[in-house]
This record gives sequence, C-alpha cells and structure tokens, in this order.
Amino acid sequence: MRSAELHNEIKELNLAYLMLAQQLIREDRDTAMFRLGISDEIADLLENLTPGQVLKMSGADMLLCRFRFDDRLLLGLLSSHDRESGMARLHAMILAAGKPVEAIA
Amino acid sequence: MYTAMRNRSVVTEGREIQRAAELIELGARLQILEAETSLSRERLLKLYKEVKGESPPKGMLPFSTDWFLTWQPNIQASLFMSFHRFMVENAGMHGLDAIIKAYRMYVEHVQYNGMEQVLSLTRAWTLVRFFDANMLKVARCERCGGQFVADVFDLTRGYVCGLCHVPARAGKTRRRLEQFNAEQGTKVTV
Repeated sequence: MRSAELHNEIKELNLAYLMLAQQLIREDRDTAMFRLGISDEIADLLENLTPGQVLKMSGADMLLCRFRFDDRLLLGLLSSHDRESGMARLHAMILAAGKPVEAIA
Repeated sequence: MYTAMRNRSVVTEGREIQRAAELIELGARLQILEAETSLSRERLLKLYKEVKGESPPKGMLPFSTDWFLTWQPNIQASLFMSFHRFMVENAGMHGLDAIIKAYRMYVEHVQYNGMEQVLSLTRAWTLVRFFDANMLKVARCERCGGQFVADVFDLTRGYVCGLCHVPARAGKTRRRLEQFNAEQGTKVTV
C-alpha cells in the first residue's frame, strides 16, 4: 500500500471508530462501555468530543483504537471453527466481561 | 419501595408504573413487582393484565439454587452474572437497574447467536438475590480464568467450568432431540 493511501485508510478507520463510539455511548451508555471496553471517564471524554475534535483526532496518523484481546484463550475462542460457535462466543463473552476496562492513567 | 416513603407523589407513582410495566414486558412475575415497587397488589394486577392481556401466573417463585448448577442454566446464568458484575463494577449501577440492563444484554446475546434462552427475568432476579444472601458464589475456572456460578458450599479449588470441560450429554435435552429428529427425519431417543 502506498503511504498516502495508508494514511487515508487509518484516518477513515479512526473516524468510523470515533463516530460509532459516540453513537453507542449516546444511545446506551452502560452497554457501550461494555462493548467498547472503556471506563466511565473515557466514555465521558469520547461523548463530549466535538465534530471538529473528532476530525482532528482522526488525522493523527496512528490508530486510535487498541487491540483488546491480549489473551490467547479468548483469541482462540473467537477465531476457531472447531467448537460449536454459539458456545465459543458465549464463553468468550464471559471472559471478556471479566477483563479490566481501558481507563485514563 | 419502603413504607416510610408512603407520602405519595404522582410523579413517583408514574415512574413506578412505568418501571413495573417495563418489568412485566420483560417477563417478571407479580412477586418481583411487589418487591421492587410500592404499588398496591390490585394496581399491579390490573397493570399486568393490561400489559400482557392475561392474568399473571400463580404460585411461588422458584426457590432452589440447584437449577442454576445444572449445565445449560449454569453457563447462561454465568453469562448474565458477568454482565451484571460489569454493570455494578464499571458502570456504577446497582439494584434493579443493574439487573434489567444485564438481562437485556443477556437476551440480546442469546437471540443474536440463535441460542435457546433458558433464563427468565424472574430467574435472573432470584439469582442476584441468591448471591446477596450468600447462597451462591462465583468460582474461578482454573483453565480459562472465567467466573462461573457455583454453590457457596462447593469446594472450588481446582474448579473447571462447564465450558472448558463440557459433559458428554450437555445440552442434549429432550426438546433439542425432538427438534433434531424433526429436522433430520431420524428417530433418535434418549
């Protein structure tokens, strides 16, 4: 991928992520915290970003969402095909709900 | 809620009716409504009939903790409790709010994944009460680290959950078998 194209892809993904996060938080804050894996403070912060700030942040040239599942078992459950997928997803959900949320340091 | 708050305000009553109607729609039994609102039994009965179009089921609430320890209910109850714990610990919710939110998420997950929903709101509500009364606890699976519903007297050192070690006949209920036979045109029996 050429680098200009790459920057654009990152920017677009950032924009999509931030907009989706804001939408989720505004619709149902508590469920959104679970889905996004974020703390109360971060939910506040995201919710209060102005469109201008969202645009500006999107162009930061690095991805704004972080890889959440630094856990082999959870990764395996979500990506494997050998188990009944409903059960694997339920198992993954139970494990994911117990993970600490992303918080402001 | 409490008798001390009996000086009735119309706004409070309106809120309680709304809350009660929400609970009825989610499938709550009359006993839950009586415990969670200060509305009279007659009003609740009337409300129930209006929302559901039928009289509420009679009889006692399920009172045994054993049901939550059998395989299928146990994993679904554990899913509900993990949502509930998240809502209490991370979203700062408590009481009925946390139960309703966790239950909605549970129903959504089960429906989205096309699974059989075994936990009713009444069961979920009693489940939380069993936890409050220290009749049930969570046990940490030593293989996956997930937290699962267990009896408070269970010895849970070296506990392995029902998902890491699925019992041979897990989830193969009579109903599932009939469904399977109907789809495949077979006559497998229990």
